[in-house]
Amino acid sequence: MSTGTATRFERSVQRTQEMRFGTRVWAAVVSDTGARVTSYIVGLLAWQILGALYERVPGPIEVVQFLADEFASGDVWPNFYATADRFLWGLAIAIVAGVLFGLVIGMWPLARALLKDTMMVGLAIPAIIWALLTALWFGFAWKAPVLTVALTATPFVAVNVAQGVEATPRDLVRMSKAFGVPLQRRVRGLVLPFVMDYVFTGVRFAIIVGWNGVLLSEWFASTKGVGWRTRYWYDANNFDGFVAWVVLFVVFIVVLDRLALVPIQKRVFRWRTTVARR
Amino acid sequence: MAVLKVENLSKVFPAANKGSEPTSALERIDLELGGHVFVSLVGPSGCGKSTFLNILSGVEEPSSGRITVTGDDGSPARFGYVFQDPRLLPWRTIMQNILYVHDDHGAETRRRALEYLDMVGLAQTADMYPAQLSGGMQQRAGIARAFSVDPDLLLMDEPFSHLDAITARSLRDQLQDIWSRTRKTVLFVTHDVTEAVLLSEKIIVMTHGGRIHAEFTIDLPHPRKASDPEVAALQAEILGEFEKIQATAGDGGNGSAAGPSEESQGTVSDPLAQGS
Repeated sequence: MSTGTATRFERSVQRTQEMRFGTRVWAAVVSDTGARVTSYIVGLLAWQILGALYERVPGPIEVVQFLADEFASGDVWPNFYATADRFLWGLAIAIVAGVLFGLVIGMWPLARALLKDTMMVGLAIPAIIWALLTALWFGFAWKAPVLTVALTATPFVAVNVAQGVEATPRDLVRMSKAFGVPLQRRVRGLVLPFVMDYVFTGVRFAIIVGWNGVLLSEWFASTKGVGWRTRYWYDANNFDGFVAWVVLFVVFIVVLDRLALVPIQKRVFRWRTTVARR
Repeated sequence: MAVLKVENLSKVFPAANKGSEPTSALERIDLELGGHVFVSLVGPSGCGKSTFLNILSGVEEPSSGRITVTGDDGSPARFGYVFQDPRLLPWRTIMQNILYVHDDHGAETRRRALEYLDMVGLAQTADMYPAQLSGGMQQRAGIARAFSVDPDLLLMDEPFSHLDAITARSLRDQLQDIWSRTRKTVLFVTHDVTEAVLLSEKIIVMTHGGRIHAEFTIDLPHPRKASDPEVAALQAEILGEFEKIQATAGDGGNGSAAGPSEESQGTVSDPLAQGS
C-alpha cells in the first residue's frame, strides 16, 4: 500500500513538473512584460509588411539605417537638445501655472466662476493654433515653442487639479477647520497631497499635448529642433528621414514616461506602497 | 470661571422645499459649563446634538444667540475635536498627523504628542501611516491628537459609535483614564446612555426640536464599570426620561410654535440600541 501511494505521489510530481514547464512558458507570454514584448514584435512585423507592400511606407530596416546615419553625422543630439530644452521649460511653466490655477479655481467659488470657462476654452484650442499664433507674434525665437507648450499644456493640468481640489474629502476639510489649521498648512498638508493623483494625470496629458505643441511650433517657426528636422526631411521628399524622426520623438515620450514620471510617482505615493507591503 | 457660556442659542434650518416648514434644530439653549468637567449630551437622533457641536466648533452658524468660550487665563480658547471617524490624513504618519493641527512643530510639541500617544497605547506607531493601524487604533490616534492641542474645550461627537462593542469598551476605559489624569473640559455627544453614565460628571438630556429636557449630576468616582449598581440605577433613571420624551413626541402636541417637523417626531430611536 505504501509503495502504491509512493508511485502515485511520484507520478503526480512528474506531472506537475511537466505542467510547470508549460505553464511557465505560457505565464511568461501572458505576463505584463510578455504582453508588452509581443505588442512590439507584432507592431514591427506589421510595419515591415506594410513597408514591403507600399513604396511610400519606409520599413523599419530603412528607418533604422537612416537613424544610424543621422546619429553618425551628429545631427541628432543638437536638434534633440534644442527641442528638449524648449519642451521642458514650457512644461515646467505649464505645471506651475496649472497647479496654481487649479488650486485657485478649486478653492474659491468666485475664481471658479471667473476662470473655469477660460480653462475650457484653453482645452479646446489645439496646439497648432498656438504654434501659428506664437510664430506670428515672436517669429523664429525660443519664445514661440516654449509658449506653445505652456499655453497648450496649462489648461490640462489646471482642469485636472481643480477637479481634485473639488473632490478633497469634506470630512478632512472640516477636521482642519475645527482644529483651526491655517490655510497655508491646509493647502500643503491636505489639498496638495490629495490632488497629486490629479496632478500626475494632468501632467501626463500635458506632456503629450506639449510635445505635440513643440514639434508643431518648430515645424512652422524654427531653424533647429526635432520638429524642424522632421520638416527638413519632409520638404526634401525623404520619407525614410521623416519617419525616422517621428520614431525618435515617439521613443522620447515613452522613455520620459518610464524613466522620469513613473519613478517620481512612486516616490510621491510611497505612503501607499508602505501600506500595501504590510 | 465658566469655560463655555451659551445664551439663548437657536438654530433654524430653512425649509428644504416649498410647502414644508422650516426645521428648528436648536431652541433657546442656555448652558453654562465650568472648567475641568466631563459633560455628556444625550438624546434621540435628530434632537440637535450634532448641530450644537457643529455650531460650537464654528462649522455652522447659529440663527441667534451667543456662545462664549474662554480659556483658563482668559486667552482665546483652544478647541480639540474627536469625530465619529478618525479623520487622519492618510499620507502622513501618526506623528505628522498630530503635528498637522499644531502651529509649533518644535521638540516640546513632539514630546507632548508622544506623551498622549503613549497614554492611548500608540507610542510605537508614531511613524506608521494610518492605514497600517486598525480602526480602533486610528480612533485612539484621533483622541491623542485632540488632547495634544491642550484644549480648553474638547468636543467629542459620538467617537465610539463606529467601533465594535469590545473595542469601544476598551477605548471608553482609556478615555476615563486620560480624563482623570488631564481633567480637560469635555463636551461628549452620544446616544448611548450607558456610555454617558460611565464617563460623565454631568449629563444633559436633549429632546426633539433641540431643547434641554433634563440635567443630571453624577458624583461617582472613576473608573466606573457598567456593572456598578449606581451606574445601573442612573442609567434606568435617564432611560425613564427618554420614555417621557418618547411619550410627548407620540402625543404630537408639544405646544412649540417652531416645533419639530413631523419627520423628526417620527424618528425616536431606541436609546438602548447601541448600549453596551
